[in-house]
Amino acid sequence: MTSETPNNDSAQDDGEIFERSEIISTVQSDSRQSWLKGRINLWRESGLITDDQSESIINFEAAPEDPIRLGIRFSRLIVVLSTLGAILIGAGIISFIAANWQGIPVIAKLALLIGGQTATYWVAYQFQFVRGYPRVGGAIMFAGAAWFGANVFLVARRYHLSTDNPDLLIWWFIGVLPLAYIAKSKAITVMAVGIFVVGISWKTASETDNSVSGLLVTAILLFAGAAIYSIGLAHLQRASTKFFAAPYLVGGALLTIVVTYMFTFDEVVKDYSRNSSVNISEMSGGYIALAAIVSVITLVSLVMTNWTSIRSEKRPSARLLEPAIITLTVIAGWFIAIHTFESAALYVVVFNLLLVIQILGIIALGVINKREAFVNIGIVFFVIDLSTRYIELTVDMLDTSLAFIVGGLLLLGVGYGMERARRRLLRQFGMMKVTQ
Amino acid sequence: MIFKVKRLFIVVIALQIVFLLGLVGYRETILAVGRTAILQTVPVDPRDLFKGEYVTLRYEISNLGSTQVNQGSKIYRLLGEVNNGDTVYVALSNIDGDESSLDVQTDEPSGRTDLFIKGKVGTKNSDVITVEYGVEQYFIPEGRGLEIEQAEEVEVRVKINRSGIAAIEALIVDGQDWKP
Repeated sequence: MTSETPNNDSAQDDGEIFERSEIISTVQSDSRQSWLKGRINLWRESGLITDDQSESIINFEAAPEDPIRLGIRFSRLIVVLSTLGAILIGAGIISFIAANWQGIPVIAKLALLIGGQTATYWVAYQFQFVRGYPRVGGAIMFAGAAWFGANVFLVARRYHLSTDNPDLLIWWFIGVLPLAYIAKSKAITVMAVGIFVVGISWKTASETDNSVSGLLVTAILLFAGAAIYSIGLAHLQRASTKFFAAPYLVGGALLTIVVTYMFTFDEVVKDYSRNSSVNISEMSGGYIALAAIVSVITLVSLVMTNWTSIRSEKRPSARLLEPAIITLTVIAGWFIAIHTFESAALYVVVFNLLLVIQILGIIALGVINKREAFVNIGIVFFVIDLSTRYIELTVDMLDTSLAFIVGGLLLLGVGYGMERARRRLLRQFGMMKVTQ
Repeated sequence: MIFKVKRLFIVVIALQIVFLLGLVGYRETILAVGRTAILQTVPVDPRDLFKGEYVTLRYEISNLGSTQVNQGSKIYRLLGEVNNGDTVYVALSNIDGDESSLDVQTDEPSGRTDLFIKGKVGTKNSDVITVEYGVEQYFIPEGRGLEIEQAEEVEVRVKINRSGIAAIEALIVDGQDWKP
C-alpha cells in the first residue's frame, strides 16, 4: 500500500531489517578487523609489507565501516530525539490545558485539545509522507497517537466520568491501531498492543467479581493472549505485514504466560471458583459467546498461518511447536472456563504443566526462529516459576532463614547456569556481542 | 498510491475526532435535555497524582438492601434477584406521588415509575448491594477538596436521560452551586 510512496517505509521496513543485519555485520566486522590487524602486524614484522603499506591497508579496510556505524547511531538518535521532542511538546500543551482547566471555556478546551491533536497529525504527515523525513514524522505521529489517548481521558474528566475505566483504554486502542498500519509505525503498533493488553487485563480484573463467571472471565483473558499471539503469527505470513508481527507475538506471549502463571496457584483457583458456577447453563451467555469468538479467532489465525507453513521448508518441529502450544492453551482455558470439577487441585496441576510447556516452548521458539526477546521472556519466567515453586514447597518444611539461604544459593546457581545457557543460545545466532 | 494513504490517514484522523465529539455531544445532550434530580451525597477527598484532584461521591442510593431497606423516609423494594455486575434501575420518584416506596429492578421500568436512574451492581453481600451510577467522581481544581469535605451539606444535581443514564451538572454545597 505504501510501497510507492516517497520515503516510505517499506523503506522503513527494509530499513529495520537492514539495520539489524548491519548490527550483526558490524559485530562480525569487528572481529574481522582485529583478526586482520593481527595478520597485518605479523606481515609487517616478517618484512612482507612496509609500515606505510600496513597503515594503508588498515585505513582502506576500516574506512567503509565508519559511515555505516555512524548511520545506525544517527538513525537511532534521530528517532529518540524526535520522539522525546514531540512527546515533550504534547505533554507541555496538555499539562497547560489541564492546569488551566477550569478557567478555559468548554469550546476553547475542545478546540485546543482536538485542534492540537489534528495539527500534530498534519505535521507528522508532512514530515513522513511529503517532505521525506520518515523518522521525525514517525515520532510526531506517535505523539499524535498519545495525544488522542490523553484527549479521551481529558474529555471523560470534563464530564466527571470515572477515569478508573478500562473502556477508555479500549477506545484509545481502537483509535490508534489503524494509524499504526497506515503510518507503518512499529512504535504505534507497540503502543496499540500494549494499551489493548493492559485494557483487557484491567477489564477482566473488574469483571471477575461477577458472581457466576470469575473463572470464565479470566479464561477469556487467556484466550485473548493466545489470539493476540496467533494474529502475530498471521502477520508473519506476508512480507507486507511481517513488520508488525513482533509486538503481537511478544504481547500475546506475555499475556498468555502471566494468566497461565496465575492459574498455577491453588488459592487463586479456589478464590475464583468459590463464586463460579459449576453448571454451564447458569453462566453468562455473553461471556461464553465472547470466549467462543476469541477462541475461534485464535484457531482461524492458526489454521491460516499453518496453511502457508505447510508449504514452507521448515522442519516439522518448528512448524508444529507454536500451533501445538496455542491449541493446548485454548483447551486448558476451556477446561477451567466451564469449571468441570469443583476441586482446585486438578486445575493447578494442569496449569503448572502448561506453564512449563509454554516456558520451554518459548525458549525453543526463540532459538529456532532467532527471536532474542522470546529467549529472554522464557528465561525470566523460568526463574520466576522455579522461585515460586521453591517457596511453595519450602515454606512449611524448612526454617525460614535456612529456606532463604538455600533458596538464594539455588537462585545464584540457576542464574549462573541460565546466563551460560543464554549466552550459548544467543551465540548460536550470532548476537552475543550485541546483547552481552 | 500516496493519495490512497492520504485518504486513509484522513479517514482515521476524522474518526478519532468524530469519536471525541460524539462523546462530548452525548454528555452535553444528557445535560441539556435530561430531567433533573438532586441526590444527597457524602463526599470524601482522595487525591490522585495521575488524574488530578477529585472528590468521591457516595449517595443514599449507593448501598441498597437486597430485599427491602429503609433509607431515611424512603423504602426501596428490590423486585427480583440481582447479581454482581447486573444493571439495575432505581426509582427516584413515582407518577402517583407515593415517593416513600420506591422500586429497584433489573428490567427497564415502566408504569408507575416516573424518574429512575441506571446503575450497575458492584458488590452483593448477604443483605446489601452496592450500586454505581457513573456519577461517583467529581473533578475539582487542585487544593479545593477540603471546601467540599468540610461543608455541612453537599448535594449533587444530576441530569438523567430517558434510559436512566445520569450526568453530573453541578455540586451544591451548603445550598449554593459550587463554583470550581
